[in-house]
Amino acid sequence: MRKTPVIEVKNLYKTYFMEGGNSQLVLKNINFKINEGEFVAIMGPSGSGKSTLMNILGCLDKPTKGSYVLDGYDIENKNDIELAKIRGQKIGFVFQNFNLMMKRTIADNVSLPLVYQNIKEKERYKRALQMLKKVGLLGYQKRPPSQISGGMQQRVAIARALVNNPSIIFADEPTGNLDSKTSDEIMELFTELNKQGITIVLVTHEDDVANYATRMIKISDGCKVYDGLRKDYSKEKETKC
Amino acid sequence: MLKAILKEAWISITSYKLRTFLTMLGILIGVAAVVMMVSAGQAVQLHITKSFSSMGSNRIFISPAELVTGGVRGARGLPSVTVDDVKALKELKGVKAASYEGRTAVQVVYGSNNYGTSVYGTNPDILEVNNSEIEDGVMFTQKDVKSARPYAVIGQTMVNELFGLQNPIGKTIRLKGQPFKVIGTVKEQGDGLFGNDMDNFIYIPYTTLRQRLAGSDRPQYVNMAYVVAKSEQEIDAVSKRIEYLLRARHRLKEGEKNDFQIRPMTDFINKVRNVGFVLSMLLAVIASISLIVGSIGIMNMMLVSVTERTREIGTRKALGAPNNWIMTQFLAESILISFIGSFIGMILGIIISQLAGTILGYEVPISIWAVVVSVSVAIIVGIVSGLMPALKAMRLNPIDALRYQ
Ligand SMILES: Nc1ncnc2c1ncn2[C@@H]1O[C@H](COP(=O)(O)OP(=O)(O)OP(=O)(O)O)[C@@H](O)[C@H]1O
Ligand SMILES: [Mg+2]
Repeated sequence: MRKTPVIEVKNLYKTYFMEGGNSQLVLKNINFKINEGEFVAIMGPSGSGKSTLMNILGCLDKPTKGSYVLDGYDIENKNDIELAKIRGQKIGFVFQNFNLMMKRTIADNVSLPLVYQNIKEKERYKRALQMLKKVGLLGYQKRPPSQISGGMQQRVAIARALVNNPSIIFADEPTGNLDSKTSDEIMELFTELNKQGITIVLVTHEDDVANYATRMIKISDGCKVYDGLRKDYSKEKETKC
Repeated sequence: MLKAILKEAWISITSYKLRTFLTMLGILIGVAAVVMMVSAGQAVQLHITKSFSSMGSNRIFISPAELVTGGVRGARGLPSVTVDDVKALKELKGVKAASYEGRTAVQVVYGSNNYGTSVYGTNPDILEVNNSEIEDGVMFTQKDVKSARPYAVIGQTMVNELFGLQNPIGKTIRLKGQPFKVIGTVKEQGDGLFGNDMDNFIYIPYTTLRQRLAGSDRPQYVNMAYVVAKSEQEIDAVSKRIEYLLRARHRLKEGEKNDFQIRPMTDFINKVRNVGFVLSMLLAVIASISLIVGSIGIMNMMLVSVTERTREIGTRKALGAPNNWIMTQFLAESILISFIGSFIGMILGIIISQLAGTILGYEVPISIWAVVVSVSVAIIVGIVSGLMPALKAMRLNPIDALRYQ
């Protein structure tokens, strides 16, 4: 597999400034690269800064300091409109609570990102069907998401994340709302997609879920304390913050 | 892109049908009220204009000049127009008829019946002036006027009150003890604009009035003269000619004020039309208060909607929706609601006012005004009430929005 970096993070810091003048340093000097086709699990204790990192990687937020290059685009000097465009074209999101629109059909949900790419309705529908086929839900396109199970809803969300042919998929605790059996099914789907060449970065604090990934990055107290193969990880290999 | 936004907006508002309908109701009732009020005002205007026109819109009134004392307009001056003036006016170009009147109130007696009425001393042209016709018998002639014959032509109220089922023609009635022969009756005119009885009158020759009923030391001078122009278009030209002729006949020098005043019927009609217009506008303004209430309703609903759909907004932004897209979508939702609401309101307003017109027997015009007002109000209300919520949606930070429960 060709190894080109999709993500390159250098000396990244994030500070939250709160009302009343307080501030909190949440990410400290983070550095890493993620290559095309990788399957990365970001782990760490609650409050360590995983979601903060994911939001920055997903171009929903900007670092306070340091550089972030996504697929050749330097995020630092991009405005809101350009960031929206990058999100729409390069990134697929999968959320813990699915975030589907319950009043719309499954096909409408899947094709929603294409609306913002000014793609025609017929083409959107066609692409939605292709994605539903990929996640094993062909036949459900006309129904509303409220009629299907949580696991199936997350599949719909994955189909939606795939529909714009993104360079990378970010999933923040995608199995957090699912039972272990359904979680396994979702993780098998991710593995399958990764085998097809799709780059996946997910956040989890479940070891079982992380085991599906090949690489693991561990964050603790805002620092990267481990970065390596998932199967090589052990507590002793962590660096100090 | 606009089509896609409109479609998203449409699906959103139709997803919450009851709430959308209730929100719409305010604007719907507001527009219906405006349309109904404007229609009512216009119906009144139309009714008044028609009433005046049926009295003859090409009439010109000539009366003595108003006395101006210290800049204050006051009572009428002494009569200055004579019977001979009127004769001369009749010969002017564009003049169809010219008449005049002297008036006195009398108790008219026939046999054991009597009734209070106004007696008008006039000439045969008065029929033309009042846009009326003879029903039975004949009108007295110019010759009858010249020789001061004791003839009377009476209105339908007189016929009913004095004669009942008898034929009045040829009968003798008494005015102030003097005998008058009824030679004709005038067709029913109906009620006047203010509900006054237009059929309660007696016409007699002017000369007879002066000689037998209401003497005057200046019998040649009339209180009021009327000219009927051949058409409404000629009124201005005829008015000018009247002024020119009367000034010459009264030997007024240049710079001297007219000792008479000329007022075309169209002046009255225009005044009344203006009053009707102001009335319409006043009603419309009052009704538009309900529009303000309606737009507050939309704003309120949209604000609730933005809060409720915070996570949806966050998701849309994460999936690549630019801020202006989000703003336009919410704006489109409020515009759609107010547009549909005002469209239905407009239709409803037209239907109700037509229905009311049919029931009450008035002709109610369908006003272009109402359409223009409701469409523009819809767009303005939609924008105004949707702007704040749309900006709120646009400014939502996607991270906060996604975390919102
Ligand atoms: N918008 C914000 N403003 C201020 N502080 C924030 C904000 N978002 C997160 N934080 C703080 O930053 C720290 C890291 O939060 P973050 O959500 O990244 O943790 P996490 O690793 O995702 O935790 P979890 O496993 O519970 O999801 C926490 O202390 C949190 O309180
Ligand atoms: Mg988190």
